Amino acid sequence: MKKKWRTAEPYLWILPSVILMAIFIIVPIFYVFKMAVSDVSKTGKIRGFAGFENFSSVLSDASFGMVMKNTLIWTVAVVGLSTILGFMLALILNNKFRGRKIARAIVVFPWATTLVIQASVWNFIINTDYGTLNTLLLRLGIIHQAINWTPTPAAYFAWEIACGIFVTIPFVTFTVLSGLQSIDNSFYEAATVDGANYWQKLFKITIPLVRPSLTVSTVLNIIYVFNSFPIIWTMTKGDPANHTDTLVTYLYKLAFYNGRQGEAAAVSVIGFLFLLICASAYMISTLKKEGK
Amino acid sequence: MKKFVALLLALTMILALGACGNSDKASDGKVELNVIAAQYGTNTAAWWDNFVKEFEAEYENIDLNVEVVSWNDISTKVNTRISNDEAPDILNIDVFADYQADGLLLPAKDYVSEETYNKMYPAFLEQSEIDGTVWAIPDLASARALYYNVDILKAADVEVPTTWDELTAACKALKEYDSNIYPWGIDMTTDEGQAAFAYYTWNNGGGFVDEDGNWTLNSAENVEAIEYAIGLVNAGYTNTDPATETRYALQDLFCAGQLAMMIAPNQLSGLAKAANINFAVAEIPSNTGESVSAGVMDRFMCFDNGYSDEELEAIKTFFDFFYDDARYSDWVIMEDFLPATSTGGEIMAAADESAAAWVDIVGSSKFYPTAKAEWADVKQGVIKAEQTALLGGSVKDALDELQAQIAGS
Repeated sequence: MKKKWRTAEPYLWILPSVILMAIFIIVPIFYVFKMAVSDVSKTGKIRGFAGFENFSSVLSDASFGMVMKNTLIWTVAVVGLSTILGFMLALILNNKFRGRKIARAIVVFPWATTLVIQASVWNFIINTDYGTLNTLLLRLGIIHQAINWTPTPAAYFAWEIACGIFVTIPFVTFTVLSGLQSIDNSFYEAATVDGANYWQKLFKITIPLVRPSLTVSTVLNIIYVFNSFPIIWTMTKGDPANHTDTLVTYLYKLAFYNGRQGEAAAVSVIGFLFLLICASAYMISTLKKEGK
Repeated sequence: MKKFVALLLALTMILALGACGNSDKASDGKVELNVIAAQYGTNTAAWWDNFVKEFEAEYENIDLNVEVVSWNDISTKVNTRISNDEAPDILNIDVFADYQADGLLLPAKDYVSEETYNKMYPAFLEQSEIDGTVWAIPDLASARALYYNVDILKAADVEVPTTWDELTAACKALKEYDSNIYPWGIDMTTDEGQAAFAYYTWNNGGGFVDEDGNWTLNSAENVEAIEYAIGLVNAGYTNTDPATETRYALQDLFCAGQLAMMIAPNQLSGLAKAANINFAVAEIPSNTGESVSAGVMDRFMCFDNGYSDEELEAIKTFFDFFYDDARYSDWVIMEDFLPATSTGGEIMAAADESAAAWVDIVGSSKFYPTAKAEWADVKQGVIKAEQTALLGGSVKDALDELQAQIAGS
């Protein structure tokens, strides 16, 4: 009896989390897959099986290619640049200097603010007609005519990426910082004795030892940034004509503006599979390197 | 002991989760009415609270539940309820055709008493007609007109434009007068770009549909109209980025004295007054000699939940109570809207002279063809066509493509 209890006990303890995950994660995913292959009416009623019709109509939309490209640029640029900048910031904050605590607290700010607020503020700064950046430059006499900071969709998208980087850096910084703090100082002392310079220490000691933290932050960021909605939605809603849309804003418009929920579900399945492949490929490759 | 406590906690959690699924229906002999209403502004929720109190005091056998939901969430909320077979009894929202297409609604005459039904402007009821049956009733309306900054136009010695030629000339004169002022506001965003399409095409003899209700998105009049609007943008007469600057941003610019003219609903009056702008309202400039205003109308509809006679009677009572003349004009004035009933219009016009002009405008407005099933795609489609044109694309190609997509599907 006691032995049976022993075997059953751990499963019982994880049961609540399993049930929660089933309700809030697995059921919705299953439902999205089901909608993606269904004929869904505009009010959300499932009328019947549609096979791959939703997928083919999404893939035949002329804008879909551009949206996919935007999503890739958005994810790679935001994750890549914020990882590099966040890593550099973590190195700086790991040094001992006066006001380090305050500096660390300030770094959290962009992270702690709601994304919608962040994006609205950025929009308010860069807007040509009522933006504070133009007002400031005009008042200081640096310029004499308001400058259009977003003359093309690409320029607008670049601003959105900048905003994305700004809010992603803190997460990278703190993950890396926690990794840096766990590195034993004796490694550096030994390296110094052996005559290693700053760059050798960085590439031979620091980076290999914080790689697990970097992997975690990168994988989480890929998923998070890929699915990020508020920044782009607040700043441009994907306008003009899908030029700043990513998969998520595109599918939101499909579902809630065009009432094409089946197609929106299909886009979401495409995104899910794409993300699954990318994130697992990255995990496998970095875990392999660690194993070496 | 600790393990026991943990187990107990876990079990409580599971039970609590299970309980979330049960929605208890009050069964104390009362008729239950569930209403989902759109949140028009900051006063809406309080107005409904008060309505429920007054209603339940008068009709003790009816249990009225009103849920006020923001515009951002209301469609999602209603759709979720429908897919769970928990459709509301009464819904207050902008569109109805999708619900009707799924066979979810009752004809208006089934749930509105004749007396109340006859109060509505017939032109408004027609907007909710599919296959000869009216499915929804208007709860309020809003119309658009030209707002202009009197001081700026006077200083630049510019007359209020009534035709497109005059509008172009006025913009040119205003730009020459002060290059830091934007003469004309245009919103072609995902928010409301279809309104711009309506302003220019309707005032050029075009529009979304012809008299028989067939889509005419790429008509020559429409192409000319949108090319004219894009021309204003390209000439530098408008706000810089019509693809991302919403009407709300334009209203802010207007209230800051930075924008000389824009087309807006009557709510702008209150905002501009508060900002001490010396403004006036005129008809939207037209290229045909006859100005057309764009009307927007929201509706009540009733879901077919298999009602008993008693329940249907309660729904009729609800609408009689709502459209009671005094209460109804209070509803319309609450968030600065315009009435959809002739009696409401009379009361409002008598109370306020400036409101009388608006009541006239709304009476002569054209409406979006929201009764047509393709409307959602058309709306997004014309916005995309406008934005493509803003990026330098051909208006004709964009509209040809849209017409083929909509009429061909």
